[in-house]
Amino acid sequence: MHQDEQETQVAVKVHGLRKSYGSLVALDGVSFEVSRGHVFAYLGPNGAGKTTTINILCGLIERDGGEVSILGGDVARDPVFVKSRIGVVTENSNLYPELRCRRDLEYMGEIYGLPGAERRRRAEELLDSFGLTEKADAPFGSLSRGMKRRLTIAAALVHRPEVLFLDEPTTGLDVPSAKSLRGFVRRIVSDGTTVFLTTHNLFEAEELADDVAVLVGGRIVARGSVAEIKTRVGSVRNLAVRFSGDVLADALKSACPAIRSAKLQEGVWLLDVVNLHETLGQLLAFCQQHGHWIQDVGAKEPTLEDAFVSLLGETAQPDGRDGP
Amino acid sequence: MSQIARAFAISRKDIESYYGKPPLLTWGLLFPAVLILAVYLKDQAGYLAVAPGIIGMTLLFGNTSMAAIVITFEKRAGTLERLLLAPVTARTIVFGKALSAAAYGIATSIVLTVGLVVFLGMPLARPDVFAIGLVLGAGTFSLLGIITSVMVKEVFEAMTLMNFFRFPLLFVSGVFMPMSEMPGWIKPVAYISPLTHVVELLHLGASGEAHFTSPWVPLAVSVLFFIAFCAVAGPAFRRYATR
Repeated sequence: MHQDEQETQVAVKVHGLRKSYGSLVALDGVSFEVSRGHVFAYLGPNGAGKTTTINILCGLIERDGGEVSILGGDVARDPVFVKSRIGVVTENSNLYPELRCRRDLEYMGEIYGLPGAERRRRAEELLDSFGLTEKADAPFGSLSRGMKRRLTIAAALVHRPEVLFLDEPTTGLDVPSAKSLRGFVRRIVSDGTTVFLTTHNLFEAEELADDVAVLVGGRIVARGSVAEIKTRVGSVRNLAVRFSGDVLADALKSACPAIRSAKLQEGVWLLDVVNLHETLGQLLAFCQQHGHWIQDVGAKEPTLEDAFVSLLGETAQPDGRDGP
Repeated sequence: MSQIARAFAISRKDIESYYGKPPLLTWGLLFPAVLILAVYLKDQAGYLAVAPGIIGMTLLFGNTSMAAIVITFEKRAGTLERLLLAPVTARTIVFGKALSAAAYGIATSIVLTVGLVVFLGMPLARPDVFAIGLVLGAGTFSLLGIITSVMVKEVFEAMTLMNFFRFPLLFVSGVFMPMSEMPGWIKPVAYISPLTHVVELLHLGASGEAHFTSPWVPLAVSVLFFIAFCAVAGPAFRRYATR
């Protein structure tokens, strides 16, 4: 069974995954696939079930139902096979605070079964590629938050995993550290590693991900490439327009029904629109009617964040389910 | 690399991180040494009646406490979760953790015993039986500490939970009062206490005299307790470690 699936291009396959905590349904028939060598962003609001999914895929908790296959193995049935081929970076940087950085990496190598010489060489290699050589002899607990995060990711790569799970990798990091981490992720993906990413940072997801799944209330509500997800909200959502004279919001909105919302910012109207062509036609008619003309206009492609917010709006649940 | 090699790696790391620290070694030695010295100063001839019991008590308290501290600390720091994400079985983790806790208990007990032999002239009638008592006690009580502490989140919870059985065990296990002098109604309870049989082995090993005249019964019961705790520890760890 392992070999059949190994030969395919699917690294992670999940079908009908279910998990409940008492009466609370955390995952309700979740299905998705992650292609090898891709970055898969698993997005959703707090309590959507993202961490529950990762915990099941990594063998930390048991599922109630459904099928899970990682690199051809099922972590519930063959945990050692699967765990030896995946790397996991949890939301918290969880290496041993009292151990020196080099020792932390070597210990992880030992636990993952690397022979002595190889784990020493691998530890040096990772310290170097994550820019931590100077801190090799410092205890992990003494590092800055950014450095801790980097070493935690390095530790997850000690055994050269084929699939890397990253749960909120840049949470709490400053901008340069987060940017540097994204660079590391790109590098390991270019080396052929598959990355399963959960993040609240949608800019990060848009920048890194090939494929996206959006989880809301334990159900997948959208799945596809980043471009496909974005088309869910139309090709263009936002217009910036400068009129020749003063314009009232109510007049603008009543003359242009294709405008969903309008906000004036430093003399420029920022318009959230339903349809670009319709809006432009209505704007021209509005100008003609009120004796204005358009001095400047700019259009902005929708971002993944726009798509995400729109999806959340479509699937808003009044009960606000929240996972444990 | 086999699961056994990984268990040894876990154990080495724990000794490096926790058990090898001088304050812990001192704590593990000072408490029983002062207690035995107090008894010795009061009754130089009678200290031998309680010294093996105090060594057994030290194993019980020291090993369960240390296992509890390590497990709850690692739970809080997230490092236990880190270990659970690695390709090691729950049994491997339990074995590794118990091994380091047991090594700590055995090391401190050996230093204490050598001190008693050298400075107070404690006899060692059967060193082999004494050694087996130390090893079985250290292993059994380490496993007991792991089983109890994995079910809770904080050290104080683990200590509170463990004190429910540790103090009653002291009372019924012949630590301060020889089995032969115990009231008849306590004896059946004493027989089902793991501490009783460890203390019996230590008494037989030191003075050659105990309630059981032969080491076979306490040895067999101690081995059974050890096997039973081994069997329970893996599933308990799997069930509670991520909670």
